[in-house]
Amino acid sequence: MKTALVLIKRNVKLFFKDKGMFFTALITPAILLVLYVTFLGNVYRNSFESGFPQGIMISSEVLDSLVGTQLVSSILAVSCVTVAFCSNFLMVQDRANGTVKDLLIAPVSTSTLSLSYYFATLISTLMICFTATALCLVYIAIVGWYLSFVDVLLLLLDTFILVLFGTALSSVISFFLSTQGQISAVGTIISAGYGFICGAYMPISSFGEGLQTAVMFLPGTYGTSLLRNHAMRGALAELQEQGMPSQAIDGLKDMLDCNIYFFDNSVSAPVMYAVLAISVVALVGIYVLLNKFKKK
Amino acid sequence: MGNIIEINNLSKSFGDIKAVQDLSFRVKEGELFAFLGVNGAGKSTTINIMCAQLSKDSGSIIINGNDLDRSADQIKKDLGVVFQASVLDSALSVYDNLESRGALYGIIGEALKARVRELAKILDFEDLLKRPVGKLSGGQRRRIDIARALLHKPKILVLDEPTTGLDPQTRRLIWSVIMDLRKNEGMTIFLTTHYMEEAADADFVVIIDSGKISAEGTPLELKNQYTGDFITIYGLDEDKVKLLGYEYEPIRDAYRIAVPNTSVATELIIAHPELFVDYEITKGKMDDVFLSVTGKVLEGGAQK
Repeated sequence: MKTALVLIKRNVKLFFKDKGMFFTALITPAILLVLYVTFLGNVYRNSFESGFPQGIMISSEVLDSLVGTQLVSSILAVSCVTVAFCSNFLMVQDRANGTVKDLLIAPVSTSTLSLSYYFATLISTLMICFTATALCLVYIAIVGWYLSFVDVLLLLLDTFILVLFGTALSSVISFFLSTQGQISAVGTIISAGYGFICGAYMPISSFGEGLQTAVMFLPGTYGTSLLRNHAMRGALAELQEQGMPSQAIDGLKDMLDCNIYFFDNSVSAPVMYAVLAISVVALVGIYVLLNKFKKK
Repeated sequence: MGNIIEINNLSKSFGDIKAVQDLSFRVKEGELFAFLGVNGAGKSTTINIMCAQLSKDSGSIIINGNDLDRSADQIKKDLGVVFQASVLDSALSVYDNLESRGALYGIIGEALKARVRELAKILDFEDLLKRPVGKLSGGQRRRIDIARALLHKPKILVLDEPTTGLDPQTRRLIWSVIMDLRKNEGMTIFLTTHYMEEAADADFVVIIDSGKISAEGTPLELKNQYTGDFITIYGLDEDKVKLLGYEYEPIRDAYRIAVPNTSVATELIIAHPELFVDYEITKGKMDDVFLSVTGKVLEGGAQK
């Protein structure tokens, strides 16, 4: 146990000392932020405005809050996974530069070593993502705060479980990587692709039917939906307060992926949490087994 | 002295490439054992198998009485390895590196601090403990590599080309530490090197080529078997050297005559006492042995 703790400490220290890995981890949220500030924010604002029924006056603060919380949920949905990948690249780097040989020359079990990478990635990613969540909450407070205390707690819980999922997923994928080139390739693919398939860049509801069905099999989708639900709940409730009919609110929730459907069946929040939790357990199990039975 | 390492009929292939073929040798406890071969000869494969980093195809390895197939973890406790290239974490300080490596052997807290202090004194790096490893010179980094290998007080120190690329002063320091460890702690040294003068000090040498043993013995046995003696004769004209009837080469202020062995040299001197006024007899060098055995030359880290 103490061996694992010292190894986790080593891995976390190395991640934060390696400026390359640390800043790469922050690139995806930064890109999203720039995209929203430059044009996506306006696109969504116009889309909301044009979708509201005629004759209903909605305050600009609620509108700003809707756009802001959508941005926040997107940033967190992507960051929890991409930051985990960047953090987990330490494991690949150790393999690429031969450090892992130095670790395995000692009588340490592969399970201890692999779990030390998992927990170090988890800690580093949580540190960055909780910091990002705090900054996001400050941003929401500036553009329009309609969140309750429970919403904030649930947002933190969503971030936590999505980080667990991102860390487990990145651990399994990184297991098969062994060179710096592979790290760069996978990093680029994940940064660019994950935001789309989890519905962070574009709502899943805007995808074609086939693609919508396909992404419903990806656990990350449910993480995005949970974040959307909890980040936007207050703003949507305020919208209703200001006279928006509940049918229109439901339409908005469908459009924003707050409501998601698995073969026409609405997926509830507890089911979303269960999907993520089962995925985490399954992925961690696969990761430990892969390490245990790795051929020398 | 008993055998601390016993390797029997070890074989390992990578696809069609036979990296190690039916290799068998013994290393006695406390000796300096030199394992020589050009790059790709099978040295690193053998070491990786010994350290349980690589699986073997066949054969057996017994280290300090433990069979690798059954007690790999015990064997790992008995081995300290200094790799060819430093594999410590450049971004972390020397102490942080030793702390994380010590934990792998269960050395933590006060025990770790005491061991680090002890090693820092022996290897003279007390003032480097807080410095990032990436900012150290090659020689300083090598000393930390050795400290890392010695953290858990291993019985066998495996040195994979430990002094390649180091300046002569650092090489001397490192060898002085290694020799002290042998003397004071009876540590067995398993050395691979490209510097033949280092191999010349070994108790036993195995030369490996294309995964097979080409020659083995003490440096003296190898020199006697694979090279002749040399008589360096000073202050003599070349015409007189020619009269001796042996191959010779002129060197700066003398001639170097190659003779098959020391008996022939003695006979030659007795037969021509008037010519042998100022001379010396030397054995062939390990470079000559290596060349004779493998047909290849090793020099300072590269195959020629």
